[in-house]
Amino acid sequence: MNDNGCIHLNNFKAAKGTNPYKIVHAFFVSCTSFEARRYKATSCLCFTCGKPGPRMHSCLHCIYFACYAGHIQEHSKSKKHFLYVDLSYGNIYCAQCQDYIYDRELNEISISHKLKEAKSLGISMPFMPWLPNSNEAMALRRLRKRRLISPHTTIGLRGLQNLGSTCFMNCIVQTLIHTPLLRDYFLAEKHKCKAQGSGKCLVCEVSKLFQEFYSGAKTPLTLHRLLHLIWTHARHLAGYEQQDAHEFFIATLDVLHRHCMNGVDENGEKKENGRCNCIIDQIFTGGLQSDVVCTSCHGVSTTIDPFWDISLDVAGPGSLAACLERFTRAEHLGSAAKIKCSTCRCYRESTKQLTLETLPIVASFHLKRFEHSSQIDRKINAFVSFPAELDMTPFMSSHRRAVDVGADNNNAPEGVFEDNRYSLFAVVNHVGSLDAGHYTAYVRQMKGGWFKCDDHMITRASLREVLDSEGYLLFYHKTVLEYDCDAA
Amino acid sequence: MTVNNTIAHQRLVLSGDRERFRELLRRRLIECGWRDQVRMLCREAVKENENSNVTFDMLVTKVTPRARALVPDTVKKELLQKIKTYLLTQKDQ
Ligand SMILES: [Zn+2]
Ligand SMILES: [Zn+2]
Ligand SMILES: [Zn+2]
Ligand SMILES: [Zn+2]
Ligand SMILES: [Zn+2]
Ligand SMILES: [Zn+2]
Repeated sequence: MNDNGCIHLNNFKAAKGTNPYKIVHAFFVSCTSFEARRYKATSCLCFTCGKPGPRMHSCLHCIYFACYAGHIQEHSKSKKHFLYVDLSYGNIYCAQCQDYIYDRELNEISISHKLKEAKSLGISMPFMPWLPNSNEAMALRRLRKRRLISPHTTIGLRGLQNLGSTCFMNCIVQTLIHTPLLRDYFLAEKHKCKAQGSGKCLVCEVSKLFQEFYSGAKTPLTLHRLLHLIWTHARHLAGYEQQDAHEFFIATLDVLHRHCMNGVDENGEKKENGRCNCIIDQIFTGGLQSDVVCTSCHGVSTTIDPFWDISLDVAGPGSLAACLERFTRAEHLGSAAKIKCSTCRCYRESTKQLTLETLPIVASFHLKRFEHSSQIDRKINAFVSFPAELDMTPFMSSHRRAVDVGADNNNAPEGVFEDNRYSLFAVVNHVGSLDAGHYTAYVRQMKGGWFKCDDHMITRASLREVLDSEGYLLFYHKTVLEYDCDAA
Repeated sequence: MTVNNTIAHQRLVLSGDRERFRELLRRRLIECGWRDQVRMLCREAVKENENSNVTFDMLVTKVTPRARALVPDTVKKELLQKIKTYLLTQKDQ
């Protein structure tokens, strides 16, 4: 498909410019204002037969509306008005070329109107597929080698050598390598490093690691250098010695987040309202809301803190949803834990409730299976079921508020479009006892394909097997990605 | 379309909710892989007619019946349910 239009459209544009298209598009295709919607609502009927379709078009020469069931063609022939606009999609039909034609300039107008419309309706911009620019198209033509990604591909699956109880690191590396958005970021080489070549930037190391994982080679990788780097940084930062996958996960995010500061990434690591905007924070950071309510005056004090994961108590057998329900339940703090109320100006008993104010793109759950106390260290093996698809709506601050005032959130027009569904994409398991244990990870590859990563061994697994596993760390990815109106 | 239908339709357009529903449908069709499937159907249709000039209308006639059949029931159900609920709440106002 070329986007140079046709000679008829070019002649039309030379005589009348792009304004006729702009006006038809802004009022009847993508309404950019309320006024435009009023016009569209009342006048999009065929001038010939009075019906609203099928496939309404507007004549570009005289703004005559007619249906595609014959009436727009009739008008075009009798008036010799050869160009007409499809009112559903904004494409232009040329009756002389006898097909829809595509013009770069008009297409840009169409896109800008669509963005404006989305903004005016409060719809976040949907995902726009990648289209190669002229440089990229040329590079693709020059590079003849193609790698076809089929639904059964095993590309990206490589084992990791165990370098002496490094399985707790291996399982986290496997999880990160199979985090869809992180993979997209690194394979698109979005990290542009200031410290390039110094060999000190960990983000660069991870970037190289992604290339190795997806190179097509199948032999297990050895992670000496990367693990050494993360490990020394993490130990330096947290001063901890435990070989725990969860701690390693958090330490890795922390180290990468710090090293992102070296980068001059395309989106810029600018801080928005004090929050870091690096790739790690874009993917993993959510906002946890804490409401403390004074039992005397019912005054509420609210704070919101960023989080990278949610640690859930495992009391006994149960489900992830039940754990989350408990996590977000209002809790009476009791007389031993009075809090100073700013309204009453004295210490009062209060209730505290945690809810999720904003959701991260990747929701990570840590089931607290290890109990460390001064008396004993023990592992809780209780079975906690977790689903492949999870809706986070019930645990959100906005939802809890709506439930409290008895409103039915589902009928609000915004409620219809709010989408908080997540899909499971990785599970880290700890098998064995506290001191003689071993870590493995299940990762999702393509849609519905699961693999078990046990150090250097990668074996195919079923979803059933994944869901039946004990579960120590659970990773969910947002099912639908929304894009900010402004960002596009 | 009856008069009542026309009014309901106009309201939907005016409030912007028609566009919201359309966007919701578009997203669901992308998510479930329907759009990719239809793309493949189009590609096949173009390949079959490689030596003649394929027009948009030819593609529409050829692909539409199969594309319609490929829309998953879950998507249809969700949209129907949401539009129904929406129209019922509108009636009360
Ligand atoms: Zn005309
Ligand atoms: Zn008509
Ligand atoms: Zn033409
Ligand atoms: Zn770097
Ligand atoms: Zn950061
Ligand atoms: Zn108080």
